[in-house]
Amino acid sequence: MQSIILQSALNHLLEVHQIDIRPLEGKTVHFSLQDFPIEVNFICTNARIFVTTDTTTHADVDIKLKSNVFLQLMQGEDLTELLRQDKIIIHGDVKTTQLLVDLLQQVEFDFEEELSKFTGDIVAHQVGRIATKFKSSDNPLAAIKDKITHFLIAPKRFH
Amino acid sequence: MKNTTHFGFKEVATQDKQSMVRGVFDSVANQYDLMNDVLSFGAHRLWKHYTIATSNVKAGDKVLDIAGGTGDLARAFAMKVGATGQVVLSDINAAMLSEGRKNLINKGVSGVQFVQLSGEQIPFADNTFDCVSIAFGLRNVTDKDQCIGEMYRVLKPGGCLLILEFSKTDIALLEKFYDFYSFNVMPQLGKIIANDEQSYQYLAESIRKHPDQETLKQMVLDAGFGICEYHNLSGGIVALHKGIKV
Repeated sequence: MQSIILQSALNHLLEVHQIDIRPLEGKTVHFSLQDFPIEVNFICTNARIFVTTDTTTHADVDIKLKSNVFLQLMQGEDLTELLRQDKIIIHGDVKTTQLLVDLLQQVEFDFEEELSKFTGDIVAHQVGRIATKFKSSDNPLAAIKDKITHFLIAPKRFH
Repeated sequence: MKNTTHFGFKEVATQDKQSMVRGVFDSVANQYDLMNDVLSFGAHRLWKHYTIATSNVKAGDKVLDIAGGTGDLARAFAMKVGATGQVVLSDINAAMLSEGRKNLINKGVSGVQFVQLSGEQIPFADNTFDCVSIAFGLRNVTDKDQCIGEMYRVLKPGGCLLILEFSKTDIALLEKFYDFYSFNVMPQLGKIIANDEQSYQYLAESIRKHPDQETLKQMVLDAGFGICEYHNLSGGIVALHKGIKV
């Protein structure tokens, strides 16, 4: 589901802003988080980007990083600076990575809107509230743990 | 091609299957949408919605919907591709295609082209479409490898294949319920609503004879697609296979 939402948001961005991704044409970028079992391939082809969870195919670029570094990157942190600090491992072309990161940094997820297409508005809104709090926290892992704990011990107060 | 093939649980002459499947869909065409809603408890709408969301189709694209029946996917694709794009709704069965045309006209959808064709011999040039879809149709095709090969041929490089089809659940409890429902409830509902028990018996049997997720994935890769992944929906009762021609 996450890959579909990401794919949808990325391609919406490409379409609305008429972004030319020819420099990425034919490239596959493998992207994985080191502290979460999350990995996806970004396949740039036919003027669009496919996001797949099947990562067995050959990738031109392999990017590994931790979740907190990913959040930093999404909040606009400079890729070169993170590379210099050894917070990101990249095998392959850094220029391709930079192009993809530039795109990802522009994406604004309307997570609720996308999710509601599949779950209905109420579920999407509740998940969206959690996601918003998760995103705005300084320590996202602690925040989500706190939310889950809160949800489990006092479900009726979880609004 | 082998001399015999399956038609549900029956072994039939290969050349006879197509006309037998045609008989099934001639019989159910006018109640097809209603039966889909009843039999799936409306879930088929969500499965199709997920398929559209996965497609990556955008304005100006060319889309071919094979075995498109009553036009659910074609309608959604038409909205995505807009006036600059092209959607072809195709089906081997004239009665289903006629229902699809009627549906789309009633819903105010214009610009969709209707073509009666077999998925095993698609009458379009190589590298024509950005997306080719087939929803709940592949299991009825006699030579599935040939059909997937044809879909690969007419897709542009970078184009996307979407196969939405019943599949295999690996949740034991769900499997038991699903078996009971398929072989006992579905044919009876078919008898009551569409006055056709046999067609819905065939539906249940054809689902069991259809390749499982991994087998179908391999078939897609064998056809030449560089990438294929599948998403299980409703516990694997349905699976969406997405192939990308790279």
